Amino acid sequence: MQIAIASGKGGVGKSTITASLLYLLKDEYSFVAVDADAEAPNLGLLLGVTKWDEEREHLGAKVARINTESCIRCGICYERCPYGCIYIDDEGNYVVNELTCEGCNVCGLVCPVGGTISLEEVRSGVIQKATTKYGFPLISAQLDVGKPESGKLVTDEKEWAKKLMEEKGLEHMIVDSAAGIGCQVIASLGGADVAILIAEPTPASLSDVQRAYKVVQHFREPAYLIINKADINPDFNGLEKWAEREGIPILGRIPYDRAIPESMSMLKPVVEAFPDSKASRAIEGIAETIKEELLG
Amino acid sequence: MQIAVSGGKGGTGKSTVATNLAVALRKLGVKLTLADLDVEAPNDHILLGVELANEEPVNQFMPRFDYSKCTKCRKCAEVCEEHAIITMRDGTPFLMPTLCSGCRACEIVCPVPGAILEAFRTIGHTYVTPTPYGFTLVTGRLREGEERSMPLVVEARKRAEKVREGLLMVDTAAGTGNTVSKAIEGSKLLIAVTEPTPLGIHDTELILELGRLMGIPTWVVVNRADLGDIEKVRALAEKYGAQIVAEIPYSENIVKSYVEGKPIALTDYPEAEIFKGLADRVAEFIGGDE
Ligand code: SF4
Ligand code: SF4
Ligand code: SF4
Ligand code: SF4
Repeated sequence: MQIAIASGKGGVGKSTITASLLYLLKDEYSFVAVDADAEAPNLGLLLGVTKWDEEREHLGAKVARINTESCIRCGICYERCPYGCIYIDDEGNYVVNELTCEGCNVCGLVCPVGGTISLEEVRSGVIQKATTKYGFPLISAQLDVGKPESGKLVTDEKEWAKKLMEEKGLEHMIVDSAAGIGCQVIASLGGADVAILIAEPTPASLSDVQRAYKVVQHFREPAYLIINKADINPDFNGLEKWAEREGIPILGRIPYDRAIPESMSMLKPVVEAFPDSKASRAIEGIAETIKEELLG
Repeated sequence: MQIAVSGGKGGTGKSTVATNLAVALRKLGVKLTLADLDVEAPNDHILLGVELANEEPVNQFMPRFDYSKCTKCRKCAEVCEEHAIITMRDGTPFLMPTLCSGCRACEIVCPVPGAILEAFRTIGHTYVTPTPYGFTLVTGRLREGEERSMPLVVEARKRAEKVREGLLMVDTAAGTGNTVSKAIEGSKLLIAVTEPTPLGIHDTELILELGRLMGIPTWVVVNRADLGDIEKVRALAEKYGAQIVAEIPYSENIVKSYVEGKPIALTDYPEAEIFKGLADRVAEFIGGDE
């Protein structure tokens, strides 16, 4: 079974909760964990990973390059780039901004001087595998600064995870998905059997999670909700109302608890660092429900 | 002039800083426009307590095939870097709309005039929202199910340019991918909002690296400064020649203002002073430019 954990935006405690759930599920189930937040991965840190067993460079991102020798400075590429990624430098040369280029090759197609613009394959990031000290494997990715195609990075990550499941006979894949709703999240959620959404009771988080849920609906995956920092905003019941309206079961509510930031600075799941804290007890309850309802 | 507020990871308080800085700058008399370019999860309007207004669709080109003219040469499929066009065994092209980036490469290579017709689909919207704080908010919002945020960032920037008054302040998405660089591009100053936690520090380095690669002077605002080891942020900032310009403690008041959609910069809470101080520095940086 593939479970994707999403929130629509970072900062609502998705990774902390994921790390804790992994910790609580590790003894009874076999799984691979995937950190699909390729632009800001942190599950490895939270699970105390200090060294990676294996690393694969991820090629496949493409960026255009202009050969200034043969360029006749006609400016056609500059006009036609759909994303405005070509600029003129101080010497009057046409140059591609590699930090924003999407690699569509329109410039190469419209350039009148054959061979002046080439599309080059560059590294877009790295995918890493580690065995956590808790025994289960983790696959994580890091997108290089200024590179496109984080979605493809996540797709490759999940493929690696799938292979690992086959090789090691693992039952489940648990994916900590990226923030946002774009290609990374679509790649995180695509193929999942269930989505677990995490939100906090603020209007901003509600808006983010609603958008993530619309992506989940595209995939027709059943969704569940966890409410984090459930008590920070007693006057706000928007999350509950929305969940009820959409028929999304609430797996549990985690109260605000200083134990969470403290466990994060210790780089440990809160349920390991402070098992008696109120947050930990709430997460344990959620893990029990997940065992019963989802993992059987 | 343009300045950008960004931060390596999500949830560091980037939007809180951007909205409050905008409010505080305006109070100093600086004319400005705020652009929320976090198109996958735009929230500045919520923090400012306003409803998005003046919606305009962002319509993106996609090819429509006129099969009576198409010769099934497959050129369009071969050139599509997104693999958005699949061909049947006999060469008949089909489009998978959500993969299409609207780049028009297929249209450029198609050898048969009229075989590729222009069609469009709405991939999101931009908004121009007046706020009660004396500045306009421009927002880009990607439609759910759409994969590519780049075109939305580009269109929202264009609309912001059109309506801007004075300083253009952009608030970017989390991360350091190419849509973040697109949002930051053209800025004279990058304000990186970070957190001194072990997780925050890792991401701080990435955003400082992006600032360095783009050649933009970078300032660091440390949020929840008392929740971690600020010395580590200091060391990193030094390594990248960036300076720490503000430290914001963890504060219930800020959480409350966030939840209520009322900028803390407008209150009498002591935290308001931090944003005022930051606004003073930014005003000084931009000088008489705006
Ligand atoms: S490959 Fe596409 S995005 Fe990159 S510079 Fe050329 S036209 Fe622009
Ligand atoms: S289209 Fe080709 S020749 Fe013209 S400016 Fe661009 S790179 Fe140079
Ligand atoms: S517009 Fe670009 S992405 Fe879309 S089908 Fe044509 S070549 Fe592919
Ligand atoms: S390039 Fe034009 S003619 Fe060739 S398959 Fe595509 S649409 Fe048909």
